[in-house]
Amino acid sequence: MARGMVRETAVTPSREYERQLVGRAQADDRLASRELVELHKDRLFSFIWRMVRNHHDAEEICQEAFLKAFASLGTFSSEYRFSTWLFTIGYRVCLNHLRRKRALTGELDFTALPHDGDSALPGSVESEEAGRLKELVWSAVDRLSAPQRATLVLFYRHELSCHEMAQVLELPVATVKSHLHRARNRLRELLESVTEHELQEFRNRAGAAG
Amino acid sequence: MRCEQARQLFDAYLDGELSGALATELGAHRVKCPDCRRALALMEVSGHVIASDREPVALHGDFADRLLACTDSKSLRSRDRLRRGLYIAGLLAAAAVVALAFLGAFDRPAKFAGEKVETARPLAVPSPQEQSPEAGNRGASANEDLLEEWFKETQDNWAAKRQSGESLQRQFELTISQMLDILRQAKDTSPGADHFPGADGEVPASPPEPAPTDDEDVEDL
Ligand SMILES: [Zn+2]
Repeated sequence: MARGMVRETAVTPSREYERQLVGRAQADDRLASRELVELHKDRLFSFIWRMVRNHHDAEEICQEAFLKAFASLGTFSSEYRFSTWLFTIGYRVCLNHLRRKRALTGELDFTALPHDGDSALPGSVESEEAGRLKELVWSAVDRLSAPQRATLVLFYRHELSCHEMAQVLELPVATVKSHLHRARNRLRELLESVTEHELQEFRNRAGAAG
Repeated sequence: MRCEQARQLFDAYLDGELSGALATELGAHRVKCPDCRRALALMEVSGHVIASDREPVALHGDFADRLLACTDSKSLRSRDRLRRGLYIAGLLAAAAVVALAFLGAFDRPAKFAGEKVETARPLAVPSPQEQSPEAGNRGASANEDLLEEWFKETQDNWAAKRQSGESLQRQFELTISQMLDILRQAKDTSPGADHFPGADGEVPASPPEPAPTDDEDVEDL
């Protein structure tokens, strides 16, 4: 099972500590605000970058999401995880950004855009097969609708449950499950060209690495 | 188990929610059926890549600094605006005082009747006939009548102006007190909170309410 294999660098704080941090940030404690930013910025940026696929836009959206969150910290209820709330704001800003972008360019075809950071990482040791497979997977992900892409990234990469995804995407749980289902099937179709050899090679390496 | 049944279990299996007899049956089908085997393998591999592939990009190292500086400058701007608001309120108050003093000065036009008549002359433009030498006397008395009329009009005018001046004063006082109230409130609320006109609409009140299924709108984004 692929899920759960990646670990984010930031350690998720306990609910109680998070509640204290938010409370201090509400009282304009700069240190608490900074800690909230440091704790969540990389995860939020990673999600947003996967949604918009442009470093500059992703950084701006990330900043806007934090600023909006801080500006309305008073409405945050500690029943919810701060990260879930922050992701909800970030996803909304992403959607607005994508809508604006589509209104400007007429369509959104990520596969036609030059991607920053798509080349193989320097120093990464992976077979040609594994490299091609990763490339195929990500370019297939790029061709999905925004909610489908979001569910895949949130589920596999950020390990959110369907219930948490429903909060972030502000959709009913059943709709989220349907997005995830359609996203998987669409990926399967888009990966038709993957050979049995590539699959086997990748699984061997992943098995060896994990 | 047929392929159709097997496929219905894919999601539960991939979500890690399939167990017991169904999991065993699906496992058995997978071994026998190359199509389902490949389909599951493709979805598993995709999940693995999405979960574990290293992110090729990262935020700039000074992101937090820039973000916090941004919130600082926003609250600074808010304080500036408060200061500017108080300054404008002061100016308005001063203007009100000057305006009232000015209105007060014209409270007694009768006292300076002579001067008023002098300065009023250009206003009572004589007609060409009145300017002709033959009509000199008639013209002079007509002029006097006109001036008399003008003078009365002016007095009435000023009386009216003084009244409206008083109501203006009341309005000024009201506006200034309202403004001071607003500024006092602005001072009390957290700085920066008013910088996002769209924030109300865009920041979810927590808990975020699940929206109705209108995903068609974003489906093709
Ligand atoms: Zn089958």
